[in-house]
Amino acid sequence: MSTEGSVSNDREGPVKTGDERSFWGRLANWGPYQTLMSFVTISPRRQFFILAAFPILWLLTQHLGPMLQMLRVSLLDAYPVAPDVAQEFSLESYFKFFGDPIFWMPLFRTLIFAAVFTLCTLLITYPIAYFLARHVSRKNQMLLLLILLIPFWVGEIVRTYAIMILLGNTGALNLALKWLGLIDRPIPFMYTSFSMGLGMVYLTALYMLLPLYSALEKLPKSFNEAAADLGAGAWSRFRKITLPLTIEGISSGCTLVFLISTGFYATPVLLGGPSTTVFAETIAGFFHVAGDEWPTGAAFAVIMFIVALLVTGVFQRLMKSLRKGESS
Amino acid sequence: MRRGNRIVLACIYWAFVLYVFVPLILMILMGFKDSKFIGFPIRSWTFDWYTGIFSDAEVLYTFGYSVIIALLSTLISVAVGTWIAVLLESRKFWGRAFTFGLMVLPALVPGIISAIAFRIYARWLEIEPGMGAIIWSHAVHNVPFVTLVVMARLSTMPKSQIEAARDLGADPLIAFLRITLPYLVPAILGASIFCLLLSFDDFVRSFFLGGYEPTLPVLIFAMLRSGMSPEINAISTVALVLTAAIGIWAERYTRNANKGSL
Repeated sequence: MSTEGSVSNDREGPVKTGDERSFWGRLANWGPYQTLMSFVTISPRRQFFILAAFPILWLLTQHLGPMLQMLRVSLLDAYPVAPDVAQEFSLESYFKFFGDPIFWMPLFRTLIFAAVFTLCTLLITYPIAYFLARHVSRKNQMLLLLILLIPFWVGEIVRTYAIMILLGNTGALNLALKWLGLIDRPIPFMYTSFSMGLGMVYLTALYMLLPLYSALEKLPKSFNEAAADLGAGAWSRFRKITLPLTIEGISSGCTLVFLISTGFYATPVLLGGPSTTVFAETIAGFFHVAGDEWPTGAAFAVIMFIVALLVTGVFQRLMKSLRKGESS
Repeated sequence: MRRGNRIVLACIYWAFVLYVFVPLILMILMGFKDSKFIGFPIRSWTFDWYTGIFSDAEVLYTFGYSVIIALLSTLISVAVGTWIAVLLESRKFWGRAFTFGLMVLPALVPGIISAIAFRIYARWLEIEPGMGAIIWSHAVHNVPFVTLVVMARLSTMPKSQIEAARDLGADPLIAFLRITLPYLVPAILGASIFCLLLSFDDFVRSFFLGGYEPTLPVLIFAMLRSGMSPEINAISTVALVLTAAIGIWAERYTRNANKGSL
């Protein structure tokens, strides 16, 4: 008890914690617990270290560890190896990528697809976020947002399958077009970049919508009213006020959607065709075979991650300078 | 002018609602089609696909397997995520920004890269592909979502309550368990539901870290690769109804809880 007194800012005498008969009271007065607590709370410094030790250990071993191990494997000549063979440092896996143009196309395609789909998502969701934040009463906002949230709780695979049914040769879209008399023969929508785009926008739209919505919602209506009073037209109000002040939302939404889009594996496999192979499929290919290609797969993953980070980094820098340019 | 804008924007909104709902509705309808052949039009209807999957031991087993993985991984994510949130919100310390960056890392790594990295790391730690590996990868991947939600809630907590408890003699642990933790309950529950859904829906990590037993999304994926069938629709529909219902319930619960405490 005396140690507890010293912790609680030298109150006079021993302090009783709660009711003696309650669980907490009994715990606080239990000998071993008191010894433990007096050990923990001997100084704020020690207390902080005990609080911090586990999270730091977890973050280093579980969050950073897998990435570092992937980097290490990408720099080995073989992995996993037989017990008596020595592993050697080698850049071979990286040379493999840069030496063979056959691998460049999927990476390039992944980046282009991700960028185009991100832009499409932005163009589709911006008016929706604007509508929700500006034209709907507070009470309905939540309801209308909730309606959009429901499909996004459904998993990636189920939603991809739904798109397959919509776009198939005997799918609903072809049936509807036929019924309208626009086509005689079904259009092969599936296994093209169109079906992939439709699927990916479907999967990522919410990650764009939410940052945009919260950025637009924070923007005071009075700004626009003031500009209107000063004679600014609708378009220039949007371009001079709304857009620059929501650039942060645009920037974070686009970054998120871009990173997610580059990482899709199942959706391109199911919705894409041979002409739309993305880098995720290339990487996965090295892990299906018996394991001796792991360094190559790891190196390709590292390359893709670095390129994706570079693209988003440049993009964010650009957005920042754009915002500064607009406001000055 | 403003009115015209409003109508156009409302149309875009409802068109988008159609875009996100129509594929799912079509998928649900197709699960009732009385033919093995996927495609429109549907001429006769049946419940056979549903009775089929509910008497299929493999499907039921996979369902239970996915639910257990979701529950266990959520338990780990919530415990670890809350702890990290308490650390990050406790005070400023050297390296806090770096710690925060490390914390969000798993949420920002693109799916395929995260799956590959976990696969390689699991091999290094000598974790066999299978249930344990999947639970572990889901748990690590979901930690940032818990931490972010709990941090947001912690930042709104009045400091005076903790100070009062400490003045009355509670040690830090008891003050945390009796004051902070009850205050965090809505955030923790909301985050757990979110983790459950993320884990239950996850494909890429389960696919690369799984052994011979598939989780539900992996099973659907494998079935799809060998051809579409209304059976897949029935399984997907059950999964869809379950996840959407849990999602809606959680949304309402967290909203009410947040309202109640303010």
